[in-house]
Formats: sequence, structure tokens, C-alpha cells
Amino acid sequence: MKRVVLSRVAAVTSLGEGVDSLWQQLTDGKSAIAPVKRFDSSHYISHYAACVDGLTAAAGESLMVPLLDQVAGKLGPLPTDCRLLVATTKGEIDLLEARCRAGIPVGATDLPTVFLDRVARRFGLSPSVLNINAACASSTIALARGAAMIAAGQVSAVLVYAADIVSEFVFSGFSALQALSPESCRPFDRSRSGLNLGEAGAALLLLDEEQAYREEATILARIAGWGAANDAHHVTAPARDGCGLILACQQALARAEIEPDQVCAINAHGTGTVYNDAMELTAFGALFDGKIPPFHGLKGSIGHCLGAAGAVEVAIAARALQEQFLPPTVGCLEPEAAAAGQVGEKVQKISGDYLLCCNSGFGGINGALMLQRIRL
Amino acid sequence: MTGWIMGIGWVAAPGCGRGRTAATLPVWNESLTLPARKDLFEQADLRFGRLDGFSRTGLAGITMCLRDAGSEEWQQKRAIGTIAVTSGGCLQTDLDYLATMIRDGGKLASPNLFAYTLPNCFLGEAALRFGLTGNSVILHQTGGRQLDVVCRALEELTWSDCEGILAGFCEVPVVAIPCPETGYGSLFLLLTRTPDAHSGTYGKLKLHGETLTFNDRPITGLVELVEACFSTLSK
Repeated sequence: MKRVVLSRVAAVTSLGEGVDSLWQQLTDGKSAIAPVKRFDSSHYISHYAACVDGLTAAAGESLMVPLLDQVAGKLGPLPTDCRLLVATTKGEIDLLEARCRAGIPVGATDLPTVFLDRVARRFGLSPSVLNINAACASSTIALARGAAMIAAGQVSAVLVYAADIVSEFVFSGFSALQALSPESCRPFDRSRSGLNLGEAGAALLLLDEEQAYREEATILARIAGWGAANDAHHVTAPARDGCGLILACQQALARAEIEPDQVCAINAHGTGTVYNDAMELTAFGALFDGKIPPFHGLKGSIGHCLGAAGAVEVAIAARALQEQFLPPTVGCLEPEAAAAGQVGEKVQKISGDYLLCCNSGFGGINGALMLQRIRL
Repeated sequence: MTGWIMGIGWVAAPGCGRGRTAATLPVWNESLTLPARKDLFEQADLRFGRLDGFSRTGLAGITMCLRDAGSEEWQQKRAIGTIAVTSGGCLQTDLDYLATMIRDGGKLASPNLFAYTLPNCFLGEAALRFGLTGNSVILHQTGGRQLDVVCRALEELTWSDCEGILAGFCEVPVVAIPCPETGYGSLFLLLTRTPDAHSGTYGKLKLHGETLTFNDRPITGLVELVEACFSTLSK
């Protein structure tokens, strides 16, 4: 099997353009969660979200278009044989909503595949594209699939483009499900009461490690392991025993050929909902035999970016491994007892070579990636 | 890469069916009657009634496929994954949800409909009903063949820890959008690493690059693959 590395990353989030800027603001404990101005939220249980400042679309266009342009403009040239995987949960849903409000009939341009063609054209890649839809684990599982394709020798380069936006469609739905926090979310805090939505676009280039060395490409981290599993428990609620997440993480550990005690840190999904965070703590407790390593979550800073969440988190996790510290988990003022001392609003030093990233989503799906620090 | 086809199930123009009991080959066209609970399950089932049309159609195809393979009943959860390709996905459910959201500034937005505006949710429904713990994803694809979902499933079978993968498609009518080339309905095949002597197999799939063969015969389409499976049965 070939080894796989994360070579390049471009991201646009509510904390600005670029991973350097994002990293700095995360480590400074900043949050972009603010009153939402994009639509009238007066009838919803929350009025907060983390939106990309100044993101505007031309008439008849989705916000996904300028987001894609901003990300693509930062990535630079790609290998000519690069395969493209896309990860979005709702794509250009704002456009569909606008058409419905205006009474404009839907048509073939509203099909999800239209966005895939747009992404392929913007990156100048082959029009043979797959979108992986696995709810909030979409980009994690797309990265896992990309890594598997390279490991099997099927391709030598894969670009994963992940994006989702804050739309009234999704905002109203999470509000109807009583899943939104009425204030800034508080992942892993005892007083957490729900999530805040966020938006992001992120492009991650995976390469065959040998090719990366041969071409003297940048290497941010090795993708040492991956896994995906379903809870087989409920469509919208996580399994309380964390069975699916445990299984996905065990697969990632096995593929990386490491023991749990070699994992120095975790980038958790940490939505801030009562049940998700409790499920993750249960799963981590079982996986690490009660000795949970330092962990953190980004959603108190940039909100829950849905299909793009995992991609942004992997970009930050690679940086955390290099720098050997974790940014604060904004909003986690009083951690749950099971997490005491391992998560909080302060920067945490870490020491080691492996960092576990995981995400879970509707449909009972869980994805896990094991990043490995490469010492050059 | 190799795999064995253990079961075939579908929702097609005439209704639900499965390989080992069907008298004729299924036909997918512009006609589709959404499956009802009694078409699938004997017992009353509140959950089924709550499903949107896309989820009903997908879940029915998976149910018939597992039934065909003799794998519907289970005691312990199983490492079986699901990969389904779709063109329209749950777009009609999106429109139905928007209709509830746009009225009265969002006050009447339906939480039940929203839950099914993610196309992978029916895979979760199948997972909890049948104890399926493998990876479960919906694919939208451009520039490929519908048959490619079988290729992706064989890759997943080879690269993952799964003992089986359900692979197929699911399409339902979306108002004002033309019927896809595949027609409406769903089709699922259960692929496994090894043949099960107890329930029997339709035959062996092999993937070389993007070339798929079934019992050493080249296959270029999903319907052709179903026909080839039928030809292995003595009816």
C-alpha cells in the first residue's frame, strides 16, 4: 500500500481567508459567531451563526460560487492527473430557496450535479466528479476515500473540495429540530444547549507520499489511517454508547498500525448539542480506556460548517500537529466531568505524532482520520 | 477486485420485487408508485409512514435485496455498508420542506421533512432496521455510468473491513424535472467478499480498472447486470 500525505490546503471560513489567518485567530480564542443578518431569524429559536464576512453572490447565483472562487484562487496549480471529490450536504440550496420564493419553477439546473461541473471547471480538473454525501461527516469520508484511492495505487493525487453555506433552509430546519443554541455554542460544556451553524469552503490536496517527495511538494501531515461506520441506531440522534464512532476510530487506529496510547490529541466533532458531545465523550472514554488525550473543537469559533466541517478541521489538525499545541475550544468554560482537564478555553500543549479527527452526522454515520506528523 | 452478488431487490414500474421470486425482469421508466408499508412489512410500522418518497423507495429496494439474499433477519449488527448513486436525490423533499418553511416566516417549518432533506438519511433508516454498521454514503456523479456505483462498491469491499456492500441507485420524480435515463425507482445488489453456500450466489463480479465482468462476461450497464443475474436462475 502507498502512503498518503496532505500536501496543500486552502480555506475560507467565517474567521477569514487562508489557514494561517484561521490558525492565528483560533489560537487567540476568537469567534465569528454573531447575530445572523442574511435572513430574518425572528421566528427561529436562535439568531446566531458564523457567516463569511462580505460573501455576496451575483443575481441568480448561489453564495457557493464566490466561496468556490475565493478558495480556488488560493490553491495554485494542481497535478494534471488529479482526481476530484466534492463534499457538500446541500450545495446551492440558497438558489433553490430563492427560486421557490420568487415562484420560479425548478429545472435541471437545480440538480446537485450542476455544482459538481462548476467545481471541476473552476479547478481545471476532469469533469468526472463524485460528490460524497454523508451529512456532517461528508468531507471526512471524502478524505478517507481519497486516501484509500491513493493507497491502493489507483491515482497519485486527489483534491477534496468541501463547502456548505449558512442558508435559511438549513437554519430553519435545525431550529425546527430544536438543535440550535440560542446563544454562542458551548461544545463539551456542562451548560451546552445546541449548535450554531457556520459556513466554509476548503480544498485539500492529497498526494502519494513518494510523488510528493520526488516533486519536493509541501507535506503538511501523513494521512495514516481512516475509518467510517454507521451507528445503526437512529436517523437523527447519535447512539448513546458511541458504537459507530468507536468502530470508525478503531478502523483508523488499525490502518495506522498504532495503539490508542500513541494518539496525542483529538480534534472532536463537538457540535455543542447535548447528545452529540455526550456520545463523543463516551466513545473517547471507551477508546482510550478512560485516559482521553487532550482534545478540542472548532465549532465555538466558526460554527458547524456541515459538509465542510471535517475538511477545515483536518487543515487545522495538521497545523496543530506541527506546532504541537491545540487551539482553545471557545465556549467550553466548564467542561463535562468526563472531559475535565483535557478540553477548555485555553491553548493546550500536546506531545506526539498522531492526532485523531472525527465527525458524525445524520443517518448515523461516523468518519475518522488519523493524521501523523512527519518530521522533515 | 472481486465480489459475489448475493441478492437483488428493486422498486420498479410494476412495484417491489426481488431476483429469486420475480417472474419477469424489472423495468424502470417514468412510472412509479411509491411503495406502501404493506408492500414490504406485515406489521404496522409508524416509522415507515413518516418517510419521504425518496427514503421509501430506497429503503424498499434495500429491504427486497436483503430478503432476496436471505439476510433480512439479524441478531447482531453486521459490517455491511451501503453506497447509492442518485441524480435528483431528495430534491422533491427539499421542495416540500421549502413549502412549509416559506409560509409564515419559517414558523411552520416541518422538522420531520427537514430530517429527510439529507439524501443519506434513508441509509441510516436501513442501517437501524437491518443492523448495518458499514460506511453509508450517497454519491452524486458527473461524467460516469450508472454502473460505476458497482465499481465503487467493489472498491469499498476491497479497501474496508466490510463483509458486504449494498450498491444501487434511487430516483424519484421531481416536479418539473425530466425523468433521468435510468427511470424512476431503486435497485440494490448485495455484494459480499465470499459466496454463501447456504443462500447461494448469482455469480462473481470482477473489476479491472473500470472494466467490470460478471461470471467472466463483460458488463456495461446496471440493467444488463440484472439480466445476467437472472440468466443464472433456472425459472
